[in-house]
Amino acid sequence: MARKRIIQLMVAFFVLAWAFAPAHGVSEIRIGLIGPYTGWATIFGQNVLDGVKLALSQKDYKFKGTPIKIFVEDTKADVEVMRTKLDSLKNRDKVHLIIGPSLGHEGMAAVDWAARNPEVPILVGYSAPEDMTMRKATYSLVRPGWTGAQVIFNFGKFCAKDLGYKKIIIVGQDYAYPWDQAAGFIRGFLENGGEKVERIWHPVEEVDLSSIMAKLAGMSKEYDAVLCNSGGAQVVAFFKQWHQFGLDKLYPQILGQANVPITPMLAEMGDMLLGVYSSLHYYDGNPSQANVKFREGYNKAYGHYPSVMSVQGYDAVNVAFKAMEAIDGKVDDPKAFIAAIRNVKMTADESPRGPFYFDKFGNPVQNVYIKKVVKQDGRLMNIAVKTYKDVSQFGPYADMPDKYMAAPATTRDYPPGDKASYFKEIEKYFGKDYVDKLEKNKGWPD
Amino acid sequence: MSVLILMSLLNGLTLGALLFITASGLTLSFSLMRVVNLTYGAFYMAGGFIGLSVLKFSGSWLLAVFAGGAVMSALAFIEERFLLRWARGNDLIETLISLSVAIIVGDLVLVIWGGHPRTLSIPEALNGAVSIPLLNTIYPVYRIFTVVLALGIIGALWLFLEKTRLGVTIRAGVDNFEMVSALGINVRRLFSFVFTLSGFLAGVSGVVGGTFLMLVVGEDWRILTLTLIVIIIGGMGSLGGTIVGSLITGLIHSFSTAFIPEFSLFVLFLPVAIILSIRPRGLFGRQR
Amino acid sequence: MTKERGYRFSRALLGALVGGIIIAIPWISSKYFMMMSIRLMYFGMLTMSLTYLAGELGAVSLMQAAFFGISGYSVALLQSRYGLPFPIPPLAGLVIAVLAAGLFGLLVVRVRGIYFLMLTLVLGQLVWALANQWSSITRGDTGIMNIYAPTVFGISTETSKTAFYFFQLIFFCGAASFVAALKRSPFGLMLRGVRDSESRMAMLGFRVHLLRYAAFVFASLVAALGGVFFTYFTGLINPHSVSLTANVEALLAAILGGINSLLGAIVGTAILKTLDVVLSGITERYMLIMGVLFMLVIMFARQGIVGTLMKYWNNRLFTSGNRDPERRPAGFSKKPDVVGNP
Repeated sequence: MARKRIIQLMVAFFVLAWAFAPAHGVSEIRIGLIGPYTGWATIFGQNVLDGVKLALSQKDYKFKGTPIKIFVEDTKADVEVMRTKLDSLKNRDKVHLIIGPSLGHEGMAAVDWAARNPEVPILVGYSAPEDMTMRKATYSLVRPGWTGAQVIFNFGKFCAKDLGYKKIIIVGQDYAYPWDQAAGFIRGFLENGGEKVERIWHPVEEVDLSSIMAKLAGMSKEYDAVLCNSGGAQVVAFFKQWHQFGLDKLYPQILGQANVPITPMLAEMGDMLLGVYSSLHYYDGNPSQANVKFREGYNKAYGHYPSVMSVQGYDAVNVAFKAMEAIDGKVDDPKAFIAAIRNVKMTADESPRGPFYFDKFGNPVQNVYIKKVVKQDGRLMNIAVKTYKDVSQFGPYADMPDKYMAAPATTRDYPPGDKASYFKEIEKYFGKDYVDKLEKNKGWPD
Repeated sequence: MSVLILMSLLNGLTLGALLFITASGLTLSFSLMRVVNLTYGAFYMAGGFIGLSVLKFSGSWLLAVFAGGAVMSALAFIEERFLLRWARGNDLIETLISLSVAIIVGDLVLVIWGGHPRTLSIPEALNGAVSIPLLNTIYPVYRIFTVVLALGIIGALWLFLEKTRLGVTIRAGVDNFEMVSALGINVRRLFSFVFTLSGFLAGVSGVVGGTFLMLVVGEDWRILTLTLIVIIIGGMGSLGGTIVGSLITGLIHSFSTAFIPEFSLFVLFLPVAIILSIRPRGLFGRQR
Repeated sequence: MTKERGYRFSRALLGALVGGIIIAIPWISSKYFMMMSIRLMYFGMLTMSLTYLAGELGAVSLMQAAFFGISGYSVALLQSRYGLPFPIPPLAGLVIAVLAAGLFGLLVVRVRGIYFLMLTLVLGQLVWALANQWSSITRGDTGIMNIYAPTVFGISTETSKTAFYFFQLIFFCGAASFVAALKRSPFGLMLRGVRDSESRMAMLGFRVHLLRYAAFVFASLVAALGGVFFTYFTGLINPHSVSLTANVEALLAAILGGINSLLGAIVGTAILKTLDVVLSGITERYMLIMGVLFMLVIMFARQGIVGTLMKYWNNRLFTSGNRDPERRPAGFSKKPDVVGNP
């Protein structure tokens, strides 16, 4: 009798143990985090990292009882170091997933690495070059982020159609990311009725922009507005000198590319940024419950409000969790894990930015918001003045990605900035039909 | 177009003034001590950030300038007294020590103030712009103020070096070091003093420059490179050379940004190569 | 067995042992360790170039990474843009780097000591500015990617890391022997004469400038060789490789290891790169620790780790042992180095 009892107990124990034990093969889930955490580019890495950590702490660093261990590796913003650290994460730490990197040139190098190491899934942090998920796209790398052009196509359209501008000057840092932004803007602007876009490039680290201000002052009679196409320190320098040289009185409106009025900039520059229009796939004033939870949680954890960089770290973790749900935590099967990641569809309740899903290249199809900086409760905030739904990285060319990718890569002067030669170019690459359709519809359909 | 040329001239002049204010301290310590103080850029940046904090706290820009200068002069004193003096006589080692201090200070600034770009707001009295009727345009008061400040510093340094006993001793030390020590003057103290003064100028220029443009981590190496260019062009370690070097650098910079912005950084280095191939000691360098 | 012979024997034994281990690395170590060894070799060549100049000219250069990068960029461009077959890009890269060194050398050989340091810093920044801004060629900040290591004698060094390891090892040993031979050659002796007393050598009828110029070009060749392998192994190159940070790190490695010896360059690079990997997992204050370490070494162990150990070894263990002239701690001249040696 007692014996039977013992057997019963044992069976019960095993059944219970089986029921409560993790339903998958791994004893811990290892996630590698990579980005610039020291040196000049610290903020880009740190903000993404903070978003990742916030999301993980909301989940108690556990997935269905399986502990999650993170491995943080610094790239020092150097791609050679990054490659080494990626190798470290793969070979030494045997991570199941890598989140990062965050800078443009790091991103391109990460794609290169991913193509040679296809068995490690990578969720990109903040890197935005479009080729990462276009011409160089590789299956194991998915970007829960954005591309430079993706968020700005519709801004060009907005400036041409809603604001009614004809001629615009773009002043920006001379490297790939601002080139992409300028290119996307030019496409949206010229195809929707704009006439001319003049680009002025200055060295990446240039901070004395007085000569450019003098030039802008001289051009104010001909052009309608100026778009500041820089990030970080150069934004501070630009707006400071913009006001010093009295350009705010010569131009009715200043426009900014995606990175201009982000949260840390608003905190530093205050009223100088009031009224600036820009566009992005996230806006801090979004009243959605997911965004409120994210912002307040972040503020509580770090003592300041988050920027879009943190949103992407936060979303990366949530995408990974949704994928792990789908494969029941079997992260040791990278093939299934990557496939699951690519199938994730985030809803407006799950991501602070709104709903998104991945296209076949691994870049999100998501909302793009035209934002304006306003003062709310004594604090500067971006509010959305217009929302464009389900924008892919190919923007209006979503139905002909091959043609888009066949067009020459953007450079500092490609595509051309005046209407006549621009249309000649698109006729060459998108065909006569496309141009005719544009002319018939007077731009992109709404 | 001619307006743009005149504006570029003005911009080059004002930028040159800022460069002079920045380079003056480095020239001073370099001319006497024969040490390339590679910490100088870090002093500039740290001084600027200290000024930023003081300005946020007290609201007084003038106080911020002095605080930046004072803290940096203290730091410079410590560096000279406890580190550089340790290797006195071997200028290469002294230079390398200053490089290690630069790395440390640079990272400390990142710890304390973070990596976001910051700016000091321009004081009320210097804010705004004056109109230039001739050009039918306006020009920021603060940029004009830097020219005045640069002239003030030139005057003060000139008076100090030419008219005071200490200044005469320093000049004598530059020309003939052994003679000064033989005369029984405490050269150690002289070195400390000059280095501290150089640190003060670095801190002040950090606050002035941070107000002029902005402050961000990484600024230390940019400023160091710029000031080294100024010093190399001008002739290493002469005040007059530094003035001319700053003007040349400022003008080249502003014209290249206005007309060939894509290559302005590159063009900035060209005069260094050209001048050095003609005069290896710089424009005003003494051929020994 | 006399002490002298015992010393020689133990040295030969040690050499054979180390050589054996180095050859066996691909089989006895992990993939990770082999990757670190490969990195050590290409950065080691950069550091070697710097220590050679420091030891033989008594001058610290902050632009050796420029030559490292020039050859790297040349390989990248010639291969990915013009599609030239294997031996051409690296050879052309080395030639271009040497030509660049010849050009910059004209400017820098005329200055000494801290002026040399200052000028090389600025010229190094010039190369960086070029890499950054000449974006129609260099692709600016992003740099050039999709470079693949060559196939040598039918073996792809891209797919087989072991093959790459040996491919590089041959050239690395070649570069090290080249530097060692240079030091021992009559040319090296003349150069040390120049370093110790330039005026005397000039008076004896040596063409001092030419000697210094040649040394600068030779050093740059070694750095350029490192750049070729760097580009092949990482498959990419961008302006960071020629930045001031890269130059300062090379200097850091040289000083940690010992600025006067060949071995010091390698040991210093190994320490720096290991610390880099170890520290980054623990702390974000990597630069701070490096700065402090740098300061301590320069103040208290000026000969670096290898130099200090050597001194100990020579003094304590083999007081009668032969001391190679090049092991004599020199490097940093004792006299303050003033322009043109008055």
